[in-house]
Amino acid sequence: MKVRRRKIGLLVGAFILLIFVWVTWAMGDASEDRIYDGWRECFLQLGLVNTILLPTMTAMLASRLCDAEVKGSTLKLLCTMEKKGRLFDLKLLTGAVYLLFFMAAEYVMMAVLSLTLGFGRPLEGVHLLYFFLENYTCSIAILILQQVLSFFYENQIIPLAAGLFGSFVGLFSWFFPGNVFFYLVVWGYYAKLGFINYTWDETTRIMTYYNVPFNLPGFLLLLAALIAGYVAGKYLFVTRKEI
Amino acid sequence: MKYMIETEGLAKKYGDKYSVRKCSLRIRPGCVYGFLGPNGAGKSTTMKMILGLVRPTAGKIRIFGSEVTDRNRIEILKDTGSLIESPSYYGHLNGRENLEIIQTLKGVPREEIDEVLQIVRLEGQQKKKVREYSLGMKQRLGLAAALLGRPKLLLLDEPTNGLDPAGIQEMRDLISDLPKHYGMTVMVSSHLLSEMDQMATDVGIIDKGKMIYQGSLEKLHEQAKSSLRVRVLNQGTAARILDEHREKYRIEGTDLLLPERSEREVADMVAFLAGQGAQITHVEIQQKSLEDIFLALTGRQVSL
Repeated sequence: MKVRRRKIGLLVGAFILLIFVWVTWAMGDASEDRIYDGWRECFLQLGLVNTILLPTMTAMLASRLCDAEVKGSTLKLLCTMEKKGRLFDLKLLTGAVYLLFFMAAEYVMMAVLSLTLGFGRPLEGVHLLYFFLENYTCSIAILILQQVLSFFYENQIIPLAAGLFGSFVGLFSWFFPGNVFFYLVVWGYYAKLGFINYTWDETTRIMTYYNVPFNLPGFLLLLAALIAGYVAGKYLFVTRKEI
Repeated sequence: MKYMIETEGLAKKYGDKYSVRKCSLRIRPGCVYGFLGPNGAGKSTTMKMILGLVRPTAGKIRIFGSEVTDRNRIEILKDTGSLIESPSYYGHLNGRENLEIIQTLKGVPREEIDEVLQIVRLEGQQKKKVREYSLGMKQRLGLAAALLGRPKLLLLDEPTNGLDPAGIQEMRDLISDLPKHYGMTVMVSSHLLSEMDQMATDVGIIDKGKMIYQGSLEKLHEQAKSSLRVRVLNQGTAARILDEHREKYRIEGTDLLLPERSEREVADMVAFLAGQGAQITHVEIQQKSLEDIFLALTGRQVSL
């Protein structure tokens, strides 16, 4: 009910459309061998695009969900009817459902591209799981951070600026794959959990994709950060001195 | 007696300054309890502590006889409605949709929405987006939300703030009718003494975080003894005569203020003073206002 007329579906839909245009343009321009290995190309391209766009989209999503409460001072009313911790959880769950729709749309996007362009190399099923673990887990961790910021700052420019900052940090993380600094920032995990890489032969101008073992320690580190972020964020929300 | 709200030594400290100090409230069932005090006296903080929106530094709160803890707070508050400071609303939704959210959270039948809309006279505006409402309409919507579920206890923090004179009167009438028509107990805060006179049956006066009076409005009025104001041209003579007859009096400008007495006594005294050459020009019985009582209680001038 509350999300009615907040145009959150439109926000997520616009990002999905933008990503679809981006990936279709990249794939449409690709050579035959890249089309042949289309699934791996898709996983790599979407991982990169998500790194750039998802922090901003998640910031906007959290802001749209939380600023209705902040603007209308509704928390002081809701907190007399519902436990504060439950309010925090329900808000997070709503954001998580939108992100799930986003992920589902990306799977559909890949399936459509596969059918229309005819990817030759078969899909490795486990990659679907890796893609989900990489992008969804990272986005949920960002959502927790953004939700806390959106709840605590009346001026939503601050959380939105954090989202844009995250997009830049995430983008840089792709250029410095060996740099451990990106393990310290949540936006760096899209790149750190990437499971496809490529080599580029300058003379033949051929791009060859290859699998990279899934970064399980990195994933566990992200999961730990996510849990710690959730516990800390919820604690801050529940124990705030005044509503 | 089982009070609807009872606090014991309630205190809230911000930094090293107490906003509320050892506040002990007792609100009996079925009353309109006027919580009175100047701006910044600690009214909103006290009400927020009662609702669990502000964590008290010290003290106990009992609602419906049960001590409120983090564990049972929501369960106890199920039978309460509140409107604290500015009204709470979702501007992008219309009035009815706002109430539907509260109705779902409170788990009350949907039909009650029509009832409360009727009580606050917002039926005609229910389909309008709340961000387009005037402040008065938002306050009325806030009251409608508080009334959903027919709570036993209502806490209203300055509900007439920002309303036009007609809206203020409407809100006051509505509040004073609630115990009679719906059996509710109402705690309503205000910084306006005159407002309390029109709505409240019981009064609690708070100043600088401390309760300085608590009791029925009737008893408060009893403290408001009237006095006799006499204006004379010859004040020196009048004062000398009163001194000679050991009469208590106070000089206020050109007037003499004397204790209240019967009409017969007033007539005799006026005749006597006039006969002695005090040259009386004006005599009136002056009722002490609530403002005077407040001044007497706090001992200072405040903006009320």
